Amino acid sequence: MASSEARELLENGSIKKELICRHGGRTAHNMSSSSLRKKSDLSLVSKIRVGFLRKLLVNLEEVLLGTKLSVLFLAVPFAIVAQYCRFGRAWVFGLSLLGLAPLAERISFLTEQIAFYTGPTVGGLMNATCGNATELIIAIFALIQHKVDVLKSSLLGSVLSNLLLVLGSSLFCGGIANISKQQKFDRKQADVNSLLLLLGLLCHVLPLMFKFTVTPSADQVTSSATLALSRASCIIMLIAYIAYLVFQLWTHRQLFEAQDHGEEDDDDDDVVSDETPAVGFWSAFVWLVVMTALVALLSEYVVATIEAASDSWGLSVSFISLILLPIVGNAAEHAGAIIFAFKNKLDITLGVALGSATQISMFVVPLTVITAWIIGIEMELGFNLLETSALALSILVTTLALQDGTSHYMKGLVLVLCYLVIGACFFVFKAPINSSINLEEYKSSQDQVTMRI
Amino acid sequence: MASHEAWLLENGNIKLLSKEMKHGRTAHNMSSSSLRKKSDRSLVSKVRVGFLRAFLANLQEVLLGTKLSVLFFAIPLAIVAKYRNYGSPWVFALSLVGLTPLAERVSFLTEQIAFYTGPTVGGLLNATCGNATELIISILALTQNKVDVVKYSLLGSILSNLLLVLGTSLFCGGIANMSKEQNFDRKQADVNSMLLLLGLLCHLLPLMFTFAGTSPELTAVGKLQLSRASCIVMLIAYVAYLVFQLWTHRQFFEAEEGDEDDDVASEDETPVIGFWSGFAWLVLMTGVVALLSEYVVATIEAASDSWGLSVSFISVILLPIVGNAAEHAGAIIFAFKNKLDISLGVALGSATQISLFVVPLSVVVAWIIGIDMDLDLNLLETSSLALSILVTAFTLQDGTSHYMKGLVLLLCYVVIGACFFVFRSPLDSNDLGLKASPGQGIMSI
Repeated sequence: MASSEARELLENGSIKKELICRHGGRTAHNMSSSSLRKKSDLSLVSKIRVGFLRKLLVNLEEVLLGTKLSVLFLAVPFAIVAQYCRFGRAWVFGLSLLGLAPLAERISFLTEQIAFYTGPTVGGLMNATCGNATELIIAIFALIQHKVDVLKSSLLGSVLSNLLLVLGSSLFCGGIANISKQQKFDRKQADVNSLLLLLGLLCHVLPLMFKFTVTPSADQVTSSATLALSRASCIIMLIAYIAYLVFQLWTHRQLFEAQDHGEEDDDDDDVVSDETPAVGFWSAFVWLVVMTALVALLSEYVVATIEAASDSWGLSVSFISLILLPIVGNAAEHAGAIIFAFKNKLDITLGVALGSATQISMFVVPLTVITAWIIGIEMELGFNLLETSALALSILVTTLALQDGTSHYMKGLVLVLCYLVIGACFFVFKAPINSSINLEEYKSSQDQVTMRI
Repeated sequence: MASHEAWLLENGNIKLLSKEMKHGRTAHNMSSSSLRKKSDRSLVSKVRVGFLRAFLANLQEVLLGTKLSVLFFAIPLAIVAKYRNYGSPWVFALSLVGLTPLAERVSFLTEQIAFYTGPTVGGLLNATCGNATELIISILALTQNKVDVVKYSLLGSILSNLLLVLGTSLFCGGIANMSKEQNFDRKQADVNSMLLLLGLLCHLLPLMFTFAGTSPELTAVGKLQLSRASCIVMLIAYVAYLVFQLWTHRQFFEAEEGDEDDDVASEDETPVIGFWSGFAWLVLMTGVVALLSEYVVATIEAASDSWGLSVSFISVILLPIVGNAAEHAGAIIFAFKNKLDISLGVALGSATQISLFVVPLSVVVAWIIGIDMDLDLNLLETSSLALSILVTAFTLQDGTSHYMKGLVLLLCYVVIGACFFVFRSPLDSNDLGLKASPGQGIMSI
């Protein structure tokens, strides 16, 4: 399915010769996760005589052991045991978190396998949706348990982690490793993502500003207006997301294809270039359902035990949901992005980091609000002032960093340091998390602050 | 010292660059050198005694080697005014005027010393001593417990570098070179913009604490801890910036030599004074700077009452203009000659150094002394800082310049100046916790 074409692109006045290889709908996301695969060693299994058993074992080996993160799979049964034997809620939390990391990676692998059968477009769609399955499932469980603040913080933290931590560490490591070479990437992809993130930021800032323009007599009116605005914004964000998918998968594919700049040294240790699927369609489908159910189970544990873990570890709930949860959820993508930055393939790194951030901002967040609408919970957009300003500045710094299409380690370092400062901020910030933002409480807290003596 | 050709592919443009590496001469050096005068040795060479002649030559080189030398008279006048108790506003004004030539001479002496120590240490010295005036004023204000003066004078320094110095340089350069294309290397501007945004983040988050926080005590403690942690991060960023600028990616920051005009005294490949002589003068000058700064900090309220200007206006607008005067003049001169890389290096480099080095250093010094200084500027100052950084970053985006860009930056500065002119907050120097913050819509009585 691979075809390579040589094109001449006139870009910014320079004539660029590009070899574009199409890998059957493999987006940056796919290629990044594939760096964590291992080639399966079929020697042991092939010794088994019974045909059916052999196939089953091959399948098992491919799916369960096909990643370097397999060792973390042990955490999954431990977490279930801990929950039922009532070991200690902090343990349940920790083990569930650990177990989520390999599951997220396997889901991405299975979606890629299914994509081989369904063709590039549907495959890309599936990737785009299932790539953030973990965040989506955690969000829905938090919603069901009425922990709206945990939900918002974890989504915001995911965006911040993608923009600053994943991108920053990749650019930094890539810059150090390639210090003598020039590092370039196609800035068009970065531009589109920045625009969409800014749209998301606008949708968060306006409901927040509503609260500042309130007059005492109009309290009720304002909160219902904020809700209506949030819901309308979500519909618009979903429209933007669908347009983004059309743009990315259909009309402007070439901007998002993983490009090989000149040298094509494919290390076969790291990237398993599987042109043919490793598991059958129905087998992959069944595994996908099983894995998703496991993710749902562990997510439920995580959301239920988050306060206990927070008390037990002495960290605020906002810190755990903003910093810890996303780091774990993104671990596999993170590792992949760094590996590709080392190889000076920055387009892929950017595709992973920015693409994830855009998907969460434009898809998971509005979907959650609409789900809340259906369930009957009043969830609005808009974080508190601290989180919104952190988000605004992160988007700004990232946009500025990616403006010119080149990279060096200093850019990555500044992004990582910004993340450290934001992490330190939420570490020291201990706010009482309520499940619903009460306007009276907010105003009275403002009065308290202004009456400092 | 070797010139080599390098092909750089930048945004698809093929640029032929010839670079000459001078002894660690950064943009800072070259800009200040525009204020030098060639020393006229005719008078001195008539003195027969060898030792006296060398001494007088040294004196002439150091004291009279700048066009600002006439302002040196202000220094003894300021000391006299202080001891005869003429009136605090006079002491304030004379000290301010005296600081200007001193700042320039300190920069000259650092450059001389750099000839002996080599490019890297020279660059380091320059980076540190270049903002000696601001650093000394901050530390002295801290010892007198005037935390707000420190914060606002540093903020004003950043604003002045970003908007005033850069704006006037781009404006004058644009008018003078109306028919030519004005290009500069945007990579240096990008790195500086990102670092300034990191600094802005570190100021923004403590400010937001006040709005998002609950009880005042928790908020104050949290802000302090966060500020101190942020300062460590900022210092890490500054060290990395120095490594980046002086070692791994020097080529972004080298002053490019196009056509050399000999008006600029840049042919001093050899130092004009000896190493120890330079060192001794440096110590002496720094001592005088410290003395005058102490007068300035001590008399700032009296001057404010007497002239009818708020202390915040004096700290944010007046002090930095004086402190930056020499660099300012140099940046404009180089913009006239269409050497925008140097102007940018001066303006942006200074702003970055103050934001990432002087500010965190002040907080750390306050920490050691035992004063609670956090990074929270108030809403008004933080928003003007944020918008200044944004405007500057966008202006320098595309690597070209014209007078309109300079004019807009300059007008932004005028608006901010007007804002602080009319803004009268009761800044009491003795209280750290009883700050009135009109940004929160209250007045403390």
